[in-house]
Amino acid sequence: MRSAAAAIGWEFRRRHRWGLLALACYPIAMAILRMSGRKIHIDDEQSFAFVVAVPLTATFLYLVSVFSFGLSGDLSARRSIYPSRMFTLPVTNSALAGWPMLYGGVAVTILWAVTRLLALWPSGISVPVIWPALLAASLLAWTQALTWMPYALPGLRVIVTILWLAAIDAIIMIALNFKAGELVMLAILAPHVPLAYVTARYAIARARRGDEPDWRPLFRAAAPRRREHFPSPARAQTWLEWRQHGRSLPAAVAIVLPFELALLFLFRETPALVFEMLIVVLTTPPLLAVFAAATVSGSSLTKFIATRPMTSASLIAAKLKVTIASTLAAWLLVLVATPIALKLSGTWPLVIERVHRLAEVVGAPHAAIAMLLVFVALLATTWKQLVQSLYVGLSGREWLVKGSVFLALAIVAVIVPAAHWAMTNKALIALVWNAGGWILAIIVCLKLAAAASIAIRLYDKRLLSDRALVLGALLWSATVFAVYGVLAWTFPEVMIRRYVLALVAIVAVPLARLSAAPLALAWNRHR
Amino acid sequence: MSESVIAISGLTRRFGAKTALASVTLSLPRGAVYGLVGANGAGKTTLIKHILGLLRAQEGTVRIFGHDPVADPVAVLSRVGYLSEENDVPGWMRVHELIRYSRAFYPAWDDAYAEELRTMFALDPMAKVKSLSKGQKARAGLLIALAYRPELLVLDEPSSGLDPIVRRDILGAVIRSVAEEGRTVLFSSHLLEEVEQVADHVTMISGGRIVVSAPLNEIKESHRAGERLPTLDEIFIAHAAKRN
Repeated sequence: MRSAAAAIGWEFRRRHRWGLLALACYPIAMAILRMSGRKIHIDDEQSFAFVVAVPLTATFLYLVSVFSFGLSGDLSARRSIYPSRMFTLPVTNSALAGWPMLYGGVAVTILWAVTRLLALWPSGISVPVIWPALLAASLLAWTQALTWMPYALPGLRVIVTILWLAAIDAIIMIALNFKAGELVMLAILAPHVPLAYVTARYAIARARRGDEPDWRPLFRAAAPRRREHFPSPARAQTWLEWRQHGRSLPAAVAIVLPFELALLFLFRETPALVFEMLIVVLTTPPLLAVFAAATVSGSSLTKFIATRPMTSASLIAAKLKVTIASTLAAWLLVLVATPIALKLSGTWPLVIERVHRLAEVVGAPHAAIAMLLVFVALLATTWKQLVQSLYVGLSGREWLVKGSVFLALAIVAVIVPAAHWAMTNKALIALVWNAGGWILAIIVCLKLAAAASIAIRLYDKRLLSDRALVLGALLWSATVFAVYGVLAWTFPEVMIRRYVLALVAIVAVPLARLSAAPLALAWNRHR
Repeated sequence: MSESVIAISGLTRRFGAKTALASVTLSLPRGAVYGLVGANGAGKTTLIKHILGLLRAQEGTVRIFGHDPVADPVAVLSRVGYLSEENDVPGWMRVHELIRYSRAFYPAWDDAYAEELRTMFALDPMAKVKSLSKGQKARAGLLIALAYRPELLVLDEPSSGLDPIVRRDILGAVIRSVAEEGRTVLFSSHLLEEVEQVADHVTMISGGRIVVSAPLNEIKESHRAGERLPTLDEIFIAHAAKRN
């Protein structure tokens, strides 16, 4: 390597070769589809979304993470996420800013070119030629510039970047709304990359000379009071877990919720939209829990934590307690903020009226219990999202974490279009409906076999005491019975057979993956 | 009878094709300072990780106070104080929070001693760990490793990259620990003159094998050339040259 440009490029290629190779599978699959000569039509929105839009967006986001160094940087910190080790290289700020920006720009341009050439576009739409590539390059360049900038407050980077990128998106949406042509779009987007480059160069210059303003003293209250000692190691560990990860979900809900509830004020004249917004609000904690789960299971088991005199099971127990507290805190925010927003927006009577109608139809006790059950189900789903992938992150194996993400994306990319296709095939629906019991039975057998295998390993390795294993099994059984009872109360036997409900209850309550968490942690802790 | 604090037998560890430890056998009785020396990549940290249970023995056995540190981490880690070069104490913690958190794990935690160490190391209780200098972080790590008077103190390159004043604090801690009856110190360092100052026994490791393990005086006597006793540095270089 004879130049800084080649060295920087080599590092990107070398560090992310597997991810980039995996991403290459998508255009290859598209090319094979094209070359096969088969006529595949994707004229409906869902198929288009899952065959083109979702893979394209996921690939773009991955490239943004790679070329902005977001995969290794701390987005919430004040300091620049640009790797500080590169500041000591004998290269100019222009080179440090310019080469990653150029490589990233080329990568997203190729992504657009390949997608435009190979993707199956719905018939009758005119696919733009250049401006989407320029938009992608602009978004990437601004992400780089804004994330490389040092900030005066922790978390400010995320807010500034999101607001700025949302503003660019809004301008593009408005332009599209006015049916702007290719040239107009190019004119709108043309200044972005040069401006972002200048900003990035300034950001790197500041980061390089350690120019990091600090506004935290302005917000600092009186010195924190000293607290009493922890009564037990378990309490101390739970405190640490809460401080490290527990606040992620409530904080995310607290950030998103005001925007969602603000829409109630906009849509108050349209009852249908009000109820749609309420559904969005109620599904926000489980949805955000999917992302917060990554922080809870965080793969970095430090030596400091690993050398605490606690069993791996106790370390997991602290995490589980914190996930319960996180779930409750997130829902407390929803339960407090939503009625206030409904009241202030004047949409409260709409909701009350709908509740009265439900009570009239099914009776007041049934209506109350049904609403309570929906709430408990949402609460349980939020917690389940936080804990069900715990074992992956706690294993500390990067290949397992990346592999599980790719597997999940692959399943979504295959299952959703397949399910969409299946929904249009009545014979198949009838077949699946008739075989539903068998399918569930197979899933239950697999789940129980996995759980039994994990329980044997937990016992053999003495990771859980006999008492904990028996108590865990009893608690799981009691929960399954409770879920079965609720399902049996909700669905009459003429609609769904009881044994199917029992199988659904067994599938719904987490067991195998949750039990695998202590094994995964021990595997990571004692390598 | 002097029970072995650390008893390692036939310990072998491979990372892929590389053998990091090859049939290491070591027994450290109670109440002395053991210096663990060796070149970079010799296997010192790998050995210490086995002692702490952070690595599982692929072959052989590791027993600390008679317990397997992997099977029974609580029994081992509650009696071990550990300070490493990395010192990855969470940066968001304040010093008083670090002390409050750490004391929960050790019934023998001595509040008065912890406060004495904090004052001696000039650690501001309200300071966040991430705002401390490297030397102050090492002192904070030393504080929580010492405040419960562990039976075994494991120091893995603790003074690497630190100024002489912090290094003096660390050596002082080693000497103080030994002065208290029955305590044992395992001290891994590149700075051989430091090891020489405090170690009673020295274990030299090279290429994953123990090449020398004996009382320091015996090692020096066995390498004597004429009137002058060689320094540990000279002995180390002589062994390295012999190996090459």
